[in-house]
Amino acid sequence: MDDSTSITLEAIHLLFSGDTELWAIIGVSFQVSTTAILISVPPALIIAFILAYADFPGRRLLISIFNTLLAVPAVVIGLTFYLLLSRQGILGDWRLLFTQSAMVMGQAALSFPILVAMGHAAFQAIDKRAWETARTLGANRIRAFYTVMKEARFGLLAALFSAYGRIIAEVGASMMLGGNILNYTRNIPTAIALETSKGEFSQGIALGLVLIILAFTLNTFLQYFQGKGHLSN
Amino acid sequence: MKLVKSTIKTILILLPFYIQQPVFADDGVTNNSNKIIRLATTTSTDNSGLLAYLLPTFEQTSGYRVHIIAVGTGKALRMGRDGDADVLLVHAPAAEMKFVNAGFGEKRYPVMVNDFVLVGPLSNPANIKIDSEISYALQQIADHKSIFISRGDNSGTHKKELSLWKTKNNYHKSKAYREVGQGMGKVLQMAAELDAYTLTDRGTWLAFQAKTPLKILNEGDPKLFNPYHIIAVNPERYSNINYPGAKALISWITSNDAQTLIGQFTVNNNLLFKPSANETQLTSQLVKETGGQ
Amino acid sequence: MKTDIYNTHINFSDIRKRFGQKQILDNSEIEITSGKCILLCGKNGSGKTTFLRIIAGLETPDSGFVNTGLGKYHWKKCRQQLRNSVVYLHQQPYMFEGDVISNLNFSLDNKLKQKQRLQRIRSALEWAGLESIAENSAKTLSGGELQRVAITRAWLRNPKILLLDEPVTNMDYESRLRTIDLLLNLKQQGVALVVSSHDPVHFEALTDNWLQLSEGRLSDYTSSENITPIHYKKYIYEHTY
Repeated sequence: MDDSTSITLEAIHLLFSGDTELWAIIGVSFQVSTTAILISVPPALIIAFILAYADFPGRRLLISIFNTLLAVPAVVIGLTFYLLLSRQGILGDWRLLFTQSAMVMGQAALSFPILVAMGHAAFQAIDKRAWETARTLGANRIRAFYTVMKEARFGLLAALFSAYGRIIAEVGASMMLGGNILNYTRNIPTAIALETSKGEFSQGIALGLVLIILAFTLNTFLQYFQGKGHLSN
Repeated sequence: MKLVKSTIKTILILLPFYIQQPVFADDGVTNNSNKIIRLATTTSTDNSGLLAYLLPTFEQTSGYRVHIIAVGTGKALRMGRDGDADVLLVHAPAAEMKFVNAGFGEKRYPVMVNDFVLVGPLSNPANIKIDSEISYALQQIADHKSIFISRGDNSGTHKKELSLWKTKNNYHKSKAYREVGQGMGKVLQMAAELDAYTLTDRGTWLAFQAKTPLKILNEGDPKLFNPYHIIAVNPERYSNINYPGAKALISWITSNDAQTLIGQFTVNNNLLFKPSANETQLTSQLVKETGGQ
Repeated sequence: MKTDIYNTHINFSDIRKRFGQKQILDNSEIEITSGKCILLCGKNGSGKTTFLRIIAGLETPDSGFVNTGLGKYHWKKCRQQLRNSVVYLHQQPYMFEGDVISNLNFSLDNKLKQKQRLQRIRSALEWAGLESIAENSAKTLSGGELQRVAITRAWLRNPKILLLDEPVTNMDYESRLRTIDLLLNLKQQGVALVVSSHDPVHFEALTDNWLQLSEGRLSDYTSSENITPIHYKKYIYEHTY
């Protein structure tokens, strides 16, 4: 239809004309999601590693728990943190509700089980001998861990990208915890939800395009990276 | 115990937003049966409970079924323009007139009037008086750099709010003025959490009053009046519009029977709407005063 | 310095390990001496691998004591010391992503300068005759090459003790000779070797001491100097047929 063509053209125009409001929204998205990932990656990787390599009672139960957490909808995570951070909640004194910090908390919690579950699978795919060889050749635990991560890098990178892709496109928890405040907690998905509710589709499409371009870039990068890995074999 | 209580409270506050979801499912579904009328209206109208109170009577007498699609005014008008609704019940006079003048809708019929109130924290940091002019009250908020939560979603309430500000300083660009782009209930919730002021329609306010620490801090200025109009979507633009249904709903809702029902509708023992179908002059005058936009 | 290494004796005693119901090792004892090679025989599943892994510090025993000549200590106290002086080679050695050079580089101290690194790697490649495959991807090496790179990688760590789990299994004749040649060279340098194998005939030239692991206990199958081909044949006859 002529209408949708013109909306798309307008969206592209918005993106490349440097519309400040639009780019502020994109900035919030990347800032919040990147912070969330940076916070959750180190502990998640360590847990994933321990689950894959160490043998201790309750290990299988923990794996099941993390796999279950994968299926928890974002709004439930949002609601949980909302209750914790709300005035009447346990952490109400922190006054964090409707701030970027609250969004970071929610997104970190969302990405955590993805990183653990996919990270666990990635580590499991790497032979236990990798760790043992590193250790017997004199590597300390940190260096040996780093070595195994290097061996498992394709799987770990896939875990990282999936987690990032999920949280940057997630609307429920961001809306509840951030409150969609313009120039502060309005990110790409909450803005799309809002623009659609206002009946203004072009900005929504422009922001959707950003997400699609991001997904495409990450996937291409991963493909290229994996391809390179295979070639050197 | 406290957590349990607040859990229930929050769920109650959030419930209306999730209950809306199934309603959205009807959005865009073209129903060939002309027994169904698709009414696009604002969240505030639906939240007040008025339609649930009013429409069963209409459905029984007319045989039509009304599907309510509760969205922001902006989206409601858009749906009318796109032929996704048959009839609109909205409250943004300037946008409505633009809509009708552009030929998207037929004619605006006044239905009822209610009003907006300015609510805020008990501590009232901007020291607002209950009976001062609304523009002056808003000026005080700007002067004190107090936090104000704006709907920011092009809804009728948002447009009303924007039309009331007379401040010339940079308050709107400061961090204290927060555009959140969410429904009225959510905005009230946020205002309570952030000790902020906000403008709300009285219907939503009455429904939330008991669950929020906020108080009414300014009301009664005629500029805060809020006229509702019903508009049939122009049948010449879309062949599948249920135009007879829309006309039936319009003639019923502006009839004396329905108008009496509207006048008797209460929320928490408070009358909410003043019927206005027979007061064309009054509403058009109001529109001029408040200027819409 | 060299004599000092030659004089190293490490005694492991009272090594016990049980997996579930099965007592894999029961009061096993072994004495490892610089420049000597111990051949550890036993059927599949007799616990040879577990035994080597315990000495390497990769597996925790239920009990165990270590005596380095300064007294008998609980194994936990010697863990770090053992880590620094023992290298364990898996039956199928693991190669890290990258070429042979980067795998050898892994063994070198982080503090070494780039120039010294290259020098040491070059001499290691030369020592093992691996120059031609230096830039090959380590993951795609053949079995013989893999084992030689692994031994070279271990050699760069200057270990006092090298533990090898079935090092020449599934190897062609030439590769086997070259591997054993490297191990002989290591022995001459004063490294103590413990080699596990279910097929001792290949290690005739290498072995000083031949231990047999069965039912969780180690026993001296023959004392060092008297090993003759007849023993090997006898062993194979007893254990294979």
